[in-house]
Amino acid sequence: MTDTSTDDEREQVSVPSEIEFPRLLDFYDLQTADQTQIHEFYDNLRAGQFTTTRCTECDAIHFPPRIVCPECTGDALEYVDLPHDGELFAFSAVRGGLPLGLREHEVPYVVGVVDLGPVQLSGRIDDAAYSDLEIGDPVSLKIVDIDGPTDDDRVFYRFEPQ
Amino acid sequence: MTRNVAIVGGGQANWGERDATWKDLAQEGGKATFDAVPGVDPDDIEGLFVGAVQPERFANQTHVAPMVAELLGIEVDEMIARTELACASGQAALRYAWLAIAAGQLDVAMVLGVEKMNLGREHMPEVQSSMANVLDREFDGANGLAAPPFFAWYAQRHMHEFGTTREQLSLVAAKNKTNASRTDFAQFQSTVDPDEVTDSPEIAPPLHLYDCSGITDGAAGAILMSEAKAREVTDTAAWITGSGQSTMAGNSINNLPSFSGWPQARKASQNAYDQAGIDDPLAEIDVAEVHDCFSISEIIEYEELGFAERGEGGQFIEDGRSHLDGDVAVNPRGGLLGCGHPLGATGVSQALEITQQFQGDVTNDRQVDDATTGLIHNLSGSGSVHSVMVLDRDPQ
Ligand SMILES: [Zn+2]
Repeated sequence: MTDTSTDDEREQVSVPSEIEFPRLLDFYDLQTADQTQIHEFYDNLRAGQFTTTRCTECDAIHFPPRIVCPECTGDALEYVDLPHDGELFAFSAVRGGLPLGLREHEVPYVVGVVDLGPVQLSGRIDDAAYSDLEIGDPVSLKIVDIDGPTDDDRVFYRFEPQ
Repeated sequence: MTRNVAIVGGGQANWGERDATWKDLAQEGGKATFDAVPGVDPDDIEGLFVGAVQPERFANQTHVAPMVAELLGIEVDEMIARTELACASGQAALRYAWLAIAAGQLDVAMVLGVEKMNLGREHMPEVQSSMANVLDREFDGANGLAAPPFFAWYAQRHMHEFGTTREQLSLVAAKNKTNASRTDFAQFQSTVDPDEVTDSPEIAPPLHLYDCSGITDGAAGAILMSEAKAREVTDTAAWITGSGQSTMAGNSINNLPSFSGWPQARKASQNAYDQAGIDDPLAEIDVAEVHDCFSISEIIEYEELGFAERGEGGQFIEDGRSHLDGDVAVNPRGGLLGCGHPLGATGVSQALEITQQFQGDVTNDRQVDDATTGLIHNLSGSGSVHSVMVLDRDPQ
């Protein structure tokens, strides 16, 4: 190969070395009526109520909340309250390998399956070390505000030992 | 099915933490495949099916099937597509190729599974974030739930309900990693004893580092043919005699049927066994490549695939019944624990291992004696889909 140019003749093309944390890499979904048709779930959560959808045609309770009933394909759904207290059904702890979007200081954290009766769902178990917990331990729901890369007021739920 | 279909052979790129791009891996896997099957070259390929899970996130590239066609010089005239079914994407690609040939749409297909996952230590959080997307991201991924804690729940529940022991988990990992030390392309090349598994760092209790499959760059390719074409290139092949999949309509945590078992695997395997005419899987299957993404997975799979009674998977490994010389040789290749798990390539590589076991081409003392019937199994995502394929040395 023949060298046909020198470094100082080259035009420089620059790309950003840093970008702000993009909303699409953020784990939490947008929660408002202009973004999601299950906004009522988030509105209720923001008001302190943990709810999900129930089908008025076949009585099925869904979680996550839906807009179409997977049991009967009906779309006449209503929001009903779920219990805030339940039992730890299974749990483990994340020690490393933190996904992008979580903060370093969060490791280690406990993540488990919580049995609330009508539904059995995944959740973070805050304020508890793995070694302090046992299957069957009573836990309660708590609601947290999300401070992230959007101007919306967002909320989510976690659990803590009773 | 109207026509018999055979996997006639194929090959793998070297798997591991590779100094290579997605496109490099695809080319290496393609070359290894054509090199391994004399008499078949890119001009013969009528259908191309590419198993790839997250090229968008790991390689910033989508529409990867035509990219592979260009890289390997394949002019597709019949069918081309990428398959995405998380960790079962490779088997899904095999299944589409099988059905296309069985239906008479084409005679010769290539299946290539490719995944680039190692982006450097500093980008591991991006990789972990993408892996959490395999679950329902809004309600499960958002809880920082990735694969290790999810499968740790199954280990915890299986121990709780059936008395499965930490030692039994270690026996699975030690068997598979030791098998992989005899597999040339495998990511992990060292023999491991059970105590080393138990003593390895805790990742997501009760699972330790050696209970977990790796983050792996790799590619694997296979050539599938109709019976008339297959007879022209080989005397011995792996004939697809049964295939099943099951979801039970659950994907998010609330909708999974069990946290200590996979009834979906039982259903999928039963469907595949019925098609293949298998009545007693333990007696009739000689070699099985099953989805040991974590050590606990293989113990549960012994049970759900019909090799052991429910709850007795731990005893099955403790009695050595899944070893190379056991009742059914499980993961002679070294499994995901030993070979690594380049997501889209895994199912293809599993099928190749069975093919090579039938062909007597397996090197380094891991040939299973007179293997004539084999099985591949993958689970994907939250274990919400299980895919099973039965292979036989003779067509039905
Ligand atoms: Zn309904």
